[in-house]
Amino acid sequence: MAAVPVEERQADVDELLETERPWVTIVWNDPVNLMSYVTYVFQTYFKYPRSKAEKLMRQVHHEGRAVVSSGTLEEMERDTEAMHGYGLWATFTHDTSG
Amino acid sequence: MATAFRTSDPGVTASFDEAERDLLTRLFLDVAEMLEQGLPDDADPLVSLVGITPEAHVPEDPALARLLPPGTTGDDELAGEFRRFTEMGLRERKSAALRRAAASLATVRPPERVRRKAAEKAGRLELDREAAGAWVTALTDVRLVLAERLGIRTDEDAEELHDLAESEDEEDPRAWLAAVYDFLTWLQETLVTALSAGLR
Repeated sequence: MAAVPVEERQADVDELLETERPWVTIVWNDPVNLMSYVTYVFQTYFKYPRSKAEKLMRQVHHEGRAVVSSGTLEEMERDTEAMHGYGLWATFTHDTSG
Repeated sequence: MATAFRTSDPGVTASFDEAERDLLTRLFLDVAEMLEQGLPDDADPLVSLVGITPEAHVPEDPALARLLPPGTTGDDELAGEFRRFTEMGLRERKSAALRRAAASLATVRPPERVRRKAAEKAGRLELDREAAGAWVTALTDVRLVLAERLGIRTDEDAEELHDLAESEDEEDPRAWLAAVYDFLTWLQETLVTALSAGLR
C-alpha cells in the first residue's frame, strides 16, 4: 500500500477546499433578452417561484447583474452552461461576499 | 400576416403567411449552420463521442462568440476548461433546437387558396410545450446574432434600432434588418407570455 507524503495530502485538501468554497453564478444584463424571457428562464431552469424570478430579473435589469445561484464549482459550471443554452450572458466566480 | 403566439391547451399556436415562414426558416437554418461549422467532422469520433474539444477558443465571429460566451473572466485556464467541456454540447443543442423550429414551419399548411388574387393565406402552426421550448431558444439565438450584426451593444442602441425599424427608411440598409429584428422580438414576447401562463 503506497503512502502519500504529508505535504501532498495537504495540497490535495487545499485544492478540495478551493473548489468546495462557495461559488456563484452571475447573470449579466444584455440589450437583447426580454425581461419576460429572463424571468421565464429563472422559473423554468431554477424552478424559482415567479416572485423570486422577477426580483432577480429586476436586479439584472437595474443593477446590471444578479447572483442567481451558489454552490460548488461544478454546480456553478453546470448552471452557467444552462444559462448560455438559454442565450443569457452568465459567468461563474468565487463568492467574494463573505 | 402573423398572429401572435397564444396558449392553446396543451401548447401554443400562431399563424404565419408564406413570406414569414420562408424568412423564419431561412434565419433558423442560417444560425444552425453557423453553429455547426465548429463541430468536428467524422475524422475524430472520440471527440464527438466524449463531447470535449481538445482546444477551445472564443469564436472569432462576434455573433457566434455571443452565443458561446466565456464561462468566467479573470481565469483563462478555468475559462478554457469550461469551453472545452461545454462548447460542443451547446453548439449541438442550439443547432438541434433551430432545426426543430425550422422543421415545424415546414408542417404548416395554408388553407386552400380561394380563387382570387388575395394575399397569401396564413397557415397555422401548433406546438406542444416541448416544441415551444425549442422555439424560444431558437428565436433567442437568432435575435442575438441579428443584434450583433446590427451593432446593438446597449439598451439605448436597441431603442434606436426600434425607431429605425418604425421609420421604414428606404435609404438605410439596416432598416429592413431592424424590422426583422422587431418582428422576432414581438414573436418572442408573445411566445414567452403564452408559455409563462402555465408557470406559478
